[in-house]
Amino acid sequence: MKSLVIIVVSAALAAVIPFVGSEYALSFTVQLFVFVALAYSWNLIGGYAGYTHFGQVAFFGVGAYTGALMMDAGFHWLLAAGAAGLSGALLALPLGGAMLRVKGPFFAIGMFGMARVCESFALGFDGITQGGTGLYLTPVTDLKPLYFVLWAIAFGMVVLTWKLDNSRLGIQLLAIREDETAADALGIRTTRLKIGTFVASAIAPAAVGSLYATYLSFIDPATAFAPMTELTTIAMVLLGGMGTTFGPLVGAVVMSVVNELLWSRFPEIYLALVGAVILAVVLFMPRGIVSFAMRRAWWWVPAARSSLRRLASRPAPSRSPKEAH
Amino acid sequence: MHVQRIQPQPTPVPPPDFASATDTAERILVVEGVGKRFGGLVALSDVSLSVGRGSITGVIGPNGSGKSTLFNIIAGTLRPDRGRVFLNGHDTTRASPAQICRNGVGRTFQISRLFGEMTVLENLVAVAHGASDAEAVERALGLLDFLEITGLRDKWGTELSYGQRKLVEIARALMLRPTVMLLDEPFAGINPRLQNRIVDHLEALRQRGLTLFFIDHEMRIVLEICDTIHVLAQGRVIAEGDAAAIRSDPKVQDAYF
Ligand SMILES: Nc1ncnc2c1ncn2[C@@H]1O[C@H](COP(=O)(O)OP(=O)(O)OP(=O)(O)O)[C@@H](O)[C@H]1O
Ligand SMILES: [Mg+2]
Repeated sequence: MKSLVIIVVSAALAAVIPFVGSEYALSFTVQLFVFVALAYSWNLIGGYAGYTHFGQVAFFGVGAYTGALMMDAGFHWLLAAGAAGLSGALLALPLGGAMLRVKGPFFAIGMFGMARVCESFALGFDGITQGGTGLYLTPVTDLKPLYFVLWAIAFGMVVLTWKLDNSRLGIQLLAIREDETAADALGIRTTRLKIGTFVASAIAPAAVGSLYATYLSFIDPATAFAPMTELTTIAMVLLGGMGTTFGPLVGAVVMSVVNELLWSRFPEIYLALVGAVILAVVLFMPRGIVSFAMRRAWWWVPAARSSLRRLASRPAPSRSPKEAH
Repeated sequence: MHVQRIQPQPTPVPPPDFASATDTAERILVVEGVGKRFGGLVALSDVSLSVGRGSITGVIGPNGSGKSTLFNIIAGTLRPDRGRVFLNGHDTTRASPAQICRNGVGRTFQISRLFGEMTVLENLVAVAHGASDAEAVERALGLLDFLEITGLRDKWGTELSYGQRKLVEIARALMLRPTVMLLDEPFAGINPRLQNRIVDHLEALRQRGLTLFFIDHEMRIVLEICDTIHVLAQGRVIAEGDAAAIRSDPKVQDAYF
């Protein structure tokens, strides 16, 4: 209930910005939506299934190029974004099958390597991608439709995560994160689940990559596969709280606002200040802001995975020991 | 019972002396000539044994004699180098842990493997395959009630004491509605009162037709509740039989007492 209120209120607030806000507010929010979509996607595989990695930007970049090439060929940007999402899933499927056999640092760094491989393809196939020069696209005349598509993806991811958090599927992903051997021994289909989650976590980043290329009306390898995009996404999830419904949202908003404030006031040292803020949060709230708030059980903080608890608290007259076996 | 079973293979080639149709009626689990090495170390060499349907069967043996290795092979967590394992007459030697589990084998671990950052209720519900959320919760609450640990429902896995973890692990394994339970040292490091409570629960489960196969060092309990006991030493079965036979076996006295 509380979760739904938070989602509806924040979605409504975000929806009025293009009508009341300035040009600056609009561009700020577009960036924010991109990062919300990225952070929620990373949270699925890194936060819930526990397979943290540094290669999500590969999907963002591949999506950006897929979309840009389609727009270049004359397709509508919305269709291009759909195709980009599909390209992310198609790339993630074999990649997940191969890479998810290893875990921990091997998976994390292996995925980082995959992003670099994709980047060098974008640079190398300059006959198609124009290499380091980048692709220039015809700018869209009205940004509002683009804004609302990004809005829908960002809040779609929030709702999806909220549903996941309250489902048995979400709990099974957490079981993989906590102890994959035990989960496997207890009949949880770990391979299927983690590959499925990995594929799901690649779709929105790829689609958003294409939309971002539309927004910039330009894409080059350095923008498409920027390690800074990757690190910012991960920092947002860590800041907000991994494996929680609202962690990525809180992390993305806090980080973007702090970033923006510091950048405009202290342009020379702003990166060092951002680092200090992250350090402080990690030291005082090692599991992120949302987990910290949930432990305190403040009234306005929605509890994690509340649906099971609600089911369990229902009076049940028929409960007898015979149920046990 | 909603346990999914492996369908009989189209052309089953069961070995003549094990797993024949009449035999599986009595023997739910058959281990045949299993061997396992870790590098140069022989953990199990040529172990054969069987577990009677509906029995309480125990495995005892000194530290490092290969007991946990045997359980891990039966549960599919480890692959044996040699030999085969049959569950209900079907060869499960190469099956995955998840498959074996879904065919009716529930297990606990010697060192607790609860999901730490999840509540006890979530630990249980996570493994209720095939049931709806409401059914899963209902089943979990029934089991917590049965094991008298309803109070732990909303505690985190990491918050539990050693003994509480053992009980929750048993409850979690029972969520799968298994036909055989593999319990690796359910009594180790637990106070005698709780031990007796677990014994009562295990006997109640057996009354309902569950087969219990467990490892323990607690001789008092093993000799008291087991129908059959297998004694392992240095990766071999050195004796088997009922409590009286084990107690009087000179080889066991040498190796163990
Ligand atoms: N994964 C492994 N890698 C290498 N050696 C192992 C491994 N697992 C077990 N061993 C070794 O195999 C032998 C048998 O181990 P196992 O755990 O089966 O003994 P156990 O009878 O369960 O002992 P305990 O009573 O201490 O639990 C031991 O010497 C152990 O060190
Ligand atoms: Mg052991």
